[in-house]
Amino acid sequence: MIVEEKVPGQVQQGAGPSGTGKSGDDLVQFVTCRIAHEEFALDVLSVQEINRMVEVTRVPKAPYFVEGVINLRGRIIPVLDLRRRFGLSAIERTDDSRIMVVLVRQRMVGLIVDEVVEVLRLPKVMIEPPPSVGSTAGAEFTQGVGRIDDRLLIVLDLNRLLLPHEQNAMEAATR
Amino acid sequence: MDDETQEILNDFLTETTEMIDGLDQKFVELETQPDNKDLLNEIFRAMHSMKGSAGFLGFNHLVDVTHRAESILNKLRQGEMAVVPEIITVILETVDTVKLIMTEIRASGTDVKIPVEAMSQKLDDILAGKLSGTATAPKPPVTPAPVATPELSQPTAPPPPQLGEILVNEGLATKEQVFDALTEQSKQSDPKQPLGELLIQAKAISEKALDQALQKQEKHPKAEEDATIRVETRRLDSVMNLVGELVLGRNRLIKIGGVLEQTHETDPQVRALSETLTQLNLVTTDLQLAVMKTRMLPIKKVMAKLPRMVRDLSSKLGKQVRLETHGEETELDKSVADEIGDPLVHLVRNAIDHGIEMPTERHAARKPSEGLLRIAASQEGNSIVIRIQDDGKGIALSKIKAKALQKGLISEAELAGLEPREVVNLIFLPGFSTAEKVTDVSGRGVGMDVVRTNIRKMNGTVEIESEEGKGSLITIKLPLTIAIIQALMVEVERATFAIPLSSVIEAVRISKSEIKTINGREVLHLRDRVLPLLRLAKEFAIPTDKERDRFYVVVAALGDRRIGVVVDELRSQEEVVIKSIWEYLDSIKGISGATITGEGKVVLILDISELVENAQAWHASAMVA
Repeated sequence: MIVEEKVPGQVQQGAGPSGTGKSGDDLVQFVTCRIAHEEFALDVLSVQEINRMVEVTRVPKAPYFVEGVINLRGRIIPVLDLRRRFGLSAIERTDDSRIMVVLVRQRMVGLIVDEVVEVLRLPKVMIEPPPSVGSTAGAEFTQGVGRIDDRLLIVLDLNRLLLPHEQNAMEAATR
Repeated sequence: MDDETQEILNDFLTETTEMIDGLDQKFVELETQPDNKDLLNEIFRAMHSMKGSAGFLGFNHLVDVTHRAESILNKLRQGEMAVVPEIITVILETVDTVKLIMTEIRASGTDVKIPVEAMSQKLDDILAGKLSGTATAPKPPVTPAPVATPELSQPTAPPPPQLGEILVNEGLATKEQVFDALTEQSKQSDPKQPLGELLIQAKAISEKALDQALQKQEKHPKAEEDATIRVETRRLDSVMNLVGELVLGRNRLIKIGGVLEQTHETDPQVRALSETLTQLNLVTTDLQLAVMKTRMLPIKKVMAKLPRMVRDLSSKLGKQVRLETHGEETELDKSVADEIGDPLVHLVRNAIDHGIEMPTERHAARKPSEGLLRIAASQEGNSIVIRIQDDGKGIALSKIKAKALQKGLISEAELAGLEPREVVNLIFLPGFSTAEKVTDVSGRGVGMDVVRTNIRKMNGTVEIESEEGKGSLITIKLPLTIAIIQALMVEVERATFAIPLSSVIEAVRISKSEIKTINGREVLHLRDRVLPLLRLAKEFAIPTDKERDRFYVVVAALGDRRIGVVVDELRSQEEVVIKSIWEYLDSIKGISGATITGEGKVVLILDISELVENAQAWHASAMVA
């Protein structure tokens, strides 16, 4: 499934999934995406738009997981490669590769993912805290884990994506 | 606090800050012309307005000091006290206290944290005539004529001129007639007859003349309100950003149009398109200029604080300094104006502290005992030039040489190759300071290198010329605006970078064999100079596919330092809009921002000063090795 240029909804800044389900019956809406073999879920309110891959300008001396910067209709925004961020090996970009533009701490950031899967609703109660021993990719950025049937969704904590790696590891360890 | 209160508070803060900025200068003027009643009245009115607004908003500490200062000013303007430096000093202190309170109000919304008792006491002492050395005029308090004590009812705006004043100014009545009528009015018990009526009764003026004067009185404050409106800087910034977008869009359209013109030369539609593009091009350029103008401020705003500073500093150091300012109406972009204040203050301090000598010294050197500090601003082409000139003792080249060697900033061989002009400019190197003793005036570790860094941040340059015994001249060159610049596009391994044209001197094509190595560093002999080279590919760790045989060297300069930036190709010269890149990437050395090209590509803008600095650090380490 492909979602192009999703119209940015009303933007609720810095709100985690827990804060978004108040209207209705405690359902939280997510955009899910695939990176390697894992499925990740991002709070729909922080996702601004989803774009096909565009040319990324590399920034010398930037942190390793920063792919570069792109031109988003006149704004220059940074783009992170989530594969590299999660310590996975890089792959060739495919037709399915997407740049998800999200709002983190009131800043637009692009995230490169292998594929955008779908938009879905999940009852809040179905989201569990992350397992204490994180071994999966992106464990240190996990806010919670959601289950639908036999699918496992890793709910991403966007704020942590921008922190230096070491700080994340420490925070994850003390959790 | 609700929005409305916040808005009132913001207005208050803006207005009061403006008033205070003006006050410093007026007081210093007042000292030189103590009999200037107009000036005194202006100051009194400003103080009165401040008190009024502060009272209205409930800032009691602010009222405490402004009220007392106002009382003193009232006595001064009525001749009950003489304008002496002691009183001015205390009132200037009051202004400082007010500034402190304003800062606090801005931060916390209240003024209770700033103690004002001591200040109030000082002011009370003056009011009671207790200040030592105060030449309180021993005149018996004169009962002031009513015209001299206008009860000002409007707290914020300066009051409309008095009716009597207008009548006299317009030649509709004589001073004596107005005075008689006012005397008459003051004798009456309430309710008093209006002045106009009294004058008509006394047959001093006609009814028509009165109407005319009344109309003028009403119109007076309005006329100013209509001529200007206050706009938040944020809004102007967003307009500026949008214009930036438009410029980029135009650049892109022109590129596409150019391609179409070549491929479909005869198509009437394409011709119509290129005509429209020409028009769009013109309009965009005009719009860009117009918007830039809305952001322009006269440099007076920045210079206004200098007279006070010069006064305080020179009296503290026991020096005599005359400040001359020229070109105060020269306009510059607000962002530049905001940034240039600190460097300017620093340079003026330096000139007074290190440049201008003590009166005895000056006398011995057959100079007038009063030193001259001249600050002149002007627009030259696309730059704003500020010159700071003093007639002090200048800078001794021998001292600079010794210092630079001692601090290991330069080698003896290099020093020998420098011209005197280049030697003087060594004082801008980090870690250099010629002050033999550290004073609290200047030389607190923040040296000239900080001044240069700040100016470079705005894509400006600073240079110094000095003649021992005669004085120094510092020339600052700033761009008109820092948002849009001319840049040279260069390519390294297919990655494009923009180099601000302001720092580019020339570009030369060289072959690999021309690159020589000295002390493990690559250099190029360019005419009679040895030019240190910096390979962009290496500096930015861009992987190279194959060894090239030919390169381009972009010779960049900042002040008198030069460096050759080695790139693969030169692309074009473009007008680019500087956009900030994510603060996350801000710390990257050598990149100041990014821009979007006509093709919609993001291109990083190089920070030549940082590159030069890096090269120098490199240089220094090579020399030690």
